[in-house]
Amino acid sequence: MIDTIVNALVGLLGEDWRAGLEYITNGKHMAWYASFKFTLIAAVAGAFFAVIFGLLGAAAKQSKFAPLRWIGSFYVNIVRGVPDVLFFIFFPLAFEQTVEYFFSRARCTAEEIANNAGSWPPCDAAQWYLSGNDYLILACVSLGLVYGAFAANVIHGAMISVPKGQLEAAQAYGFTEKQVFWRFKVRQMWVYALPGLSNVWMLLLKATSLLSLLQIADIVLWADRLGAPNYLARAGLVHPDWRWKYYLALFIFYIIMAMISERVFRALQNRASRGMVTVN
Amino acid sequence: MDWLLDNAFVQDIITLARPATFNLYFALISIPLGFPFAMLLALGKNSGNRLISWLSRAYIYAFRGSPLFIQFFMFYSFALSLNRTLWKPMGIDDIVLHPLFLGPLVLVLNTSAYAAEIFYGALKTVPKGEIEAARAMGMSKWQEFWSVTWPNTIRLAWPAYTNEVVFLFHATVLVYFTLPVINEQKDLMNKAGELFEKDYNVFLHFSVAALYFIVISMMIFFVFGLVHKYLTRHLKKEETPKFRFNPKYMR
Amino acid sequence: MKKILLPLAIAMVAFTGSAVAADKVRIGTEGAYAPWNFMDDKGKLAGYEIDLGMDLCKRAELECEFVVNEWDSIIPNMIAGNYDMIMAGMSVTDERKETIAFSDEYFPADPSRYAAAKGDEFDFDNLKGKNIGVQGGTIQAAYAEETFKENNTIKSYEKPDQSVADLAAGNIDILLADGSFLDPVVEGSGGMIVYVGPNVQIGGGVAIGMRQKDTDLAEKMNAALTEAKADGTVDKLVMEYFKKGPFYTPAEEEKKAAE
Repeated sequence: MIDTIVNALVGLLGEDWRAGLEYITNGKHMAWYASFKFTLIAAVAGAFFAVIFGLLGAAAKQSKFAPLRWIGSFYVNIVRGVPDVLFFIFFPLAFEQTVEYFFSRARCTAEEIANNAGSWPPCDAAQWYLSGNDYLILACVSLGLVYGAFAANVIHGAMISVPKGQLEAAQAYGFTEKQVFWRFKVRQMWVYALPGLSNVWMLLLKATSLLSLLQIADIVLWADRLGAPNYLARAGLVHPDWRWKYYLALFIFYIIMAMISERVFRALQNRASRGMVTVN
Repeated sequence: MDWLLDNAFVQDIITLARPATFNLYFALISIPLGFPFAMLLALGKNSGNRLISWLSRAYIYAFRGSPLFIQFFMFYSFALSLNRTLWKPMGIDDIVLHPLFLGPLVLVLNTSAYAAEIFYGALKTVPKGEIEAARAMGMSKWQEFWSVTWPNTIRLAWPAYTNEVVFLFHATVLVYFTLPVINEQKDLMNKAGELFEKDYNVFLHFSVAALYFIVISMMIFFVFGLVHKYLTRHLKKEETPKFRFNPKYMR
Repeated sequence: MKKILLPLAIAMVAFTGSAVAADKVRIGTEGAYAPWNFMDDKGKLAGYEIDLGMDLCKRAELECEFVVNEWDSIIPNMIAGNYDMIMAGMSVTDERKETIAFSDEYFPADPSRYAAAKGDEFDFDNLKGKNIGVQGGTIQAAYAEETFKENNTIKSYEKPDQSVADLAAGNIDILLADGSFLDPVVEGSGGMIVYVGPNVQIGGGVAIGMRQKDTDLAEKMNAALTEAKADGTVDKLVMEYFKKGPFYTPAEEEKKAAE
């Protein structure tokens, strides 16, 4: 199929274009284009988890039960207090080791554990194998946890902005406290949270460039491989260092993504604030 | 004393002290250089000249819209491709491509876009009455800027700018993820990763690195809080916007 | 780093949709070290070690699959169980023998060489103030650290491609690496990059790295390797990728002389 497209384009543009077009549609480049889907999956799934953790974090912060409040504040402050990269790498490792720790309690003998001191996991039986899919999911959850802490703050602020009168009215109608929280406060707060959440989305979108740090074969990793100088004809086109061109393409890709996101959020905001009294 | 030094946690704190200075170095160089550049960009965006305004807007949009991680890779490989034609003949190739130079350079380019957006927002909210008063007193444009617009902008932007500085400090971890490591020059994340490879103790090493980040972030908030107090010393207590020690960390 | 650096090929499984079969033997490689192992035009792994590894697995009646892993974590990730063998142009050294086991060699000890830009001259007995590039975690990195650290700057790169890019751009004066890796670079650079100075013999031959406890696997692979050496397969592949040899079968003239 790609050959047909290339041929059609060559017909349009002339033979001079053939080599270039064939080069940018070879298998290695196709793998690069395909890897964009990891970035998009991570962004969408990461955002989904971020909203969930944000809601939970905000709910915990407002809880009547003090320890829950402390947990909420601890989560929000610690995660935002360290670089996103640090937490992004830390979480999958920590999660895996925690699971393996429980495995080792059940499956390893004391002798094995003693023999394996200073190494991990304590014994082979405790090894938890993760497939690529599992790892991508962990990366998404990790993104969700980091940006969920940001979202929690936004959502917390938005919940406070929901007019008290509305909630009191709901109470007067006989809704329970829980119902008032989930059915009124949470539903009404989106309008106030949208500007902040759009900001969090922008951060998260940019953080998807870090996937290669978890060795997921994402757009950055392929761009690096494609741009690296090649001197062996057998390994493909011989060319000098072209990496900056590939990174420039990614730079532009992210800017375009930011522009699209901005438009979408503006439309959402307009829709969400229908019927609201707005100043300006 | 020995039992204290034998403690793995204390050991890590000592091991990571030198790497922490690299993160501090990157932040301390980039902040003072980024500040004036950001101010110029903000004024450019606010400028009546369409070309200057458009260029400033485009710059701010591009650097805020793309990941710093990509910017680092892009600038390094770009600088590398100019090495033979530009840096070598000028005799500055050792400096330009050194992570201790290129790292802060990219950080400055990046942070000034974010800070410019903050300053621009503050410029727009400078109280109109004060500017009118300045005009009524017959101040020149220049006087009006230095005695009214500028101090108001800084004062209004300061809390958000403090957040940006902390963010910049956090962003310094990306330098050695993207640029080559020279001799033993390693930063907190580098070193923590290296320690982790030896004994797989992710909780210990990453926690200590995180602790360094939290403590230094707190110090930044403290110092910037003092500056804020100084900037708002003339205002009545209730008029002073509350400077929250609990940071917003929103970029 | 354990699994912080997940094998690339496993991640690639994510978009082909197939699960990783548990009984498959997995071989870790770097995928960026031509002509040993690299990504070809089609985005697939290729190279001497890929062809050889698949041949050996067939002989040993094992179902094998190559996975890509960054060089700096290639040993810890094997020990951690992400894959079972390493074929990544890895030389046998005493230090590595402490943590992993090696099969018989499949490439004889390969001298390391210095590459530099054309026209630059060096006094190797008294090297001073130079930028010397190496790939981190290699035998060359250890050698450079020992030999040149005092008077020169050592720049270590995560990926071999990056070290070549920096050499071509003049960011390092000298690149120290395996001769077999530098040969195509020098040849393909059109005279821009040349060899300088002496050859240095640092490590031993290149062999398959395995976990020390996997003695069954080692036996199987060694048996397959002996067979492949005897029937000329190894030499054929070496000739194809490196234009060298034969190393493991008597050369034609010797054969005739023996007759």
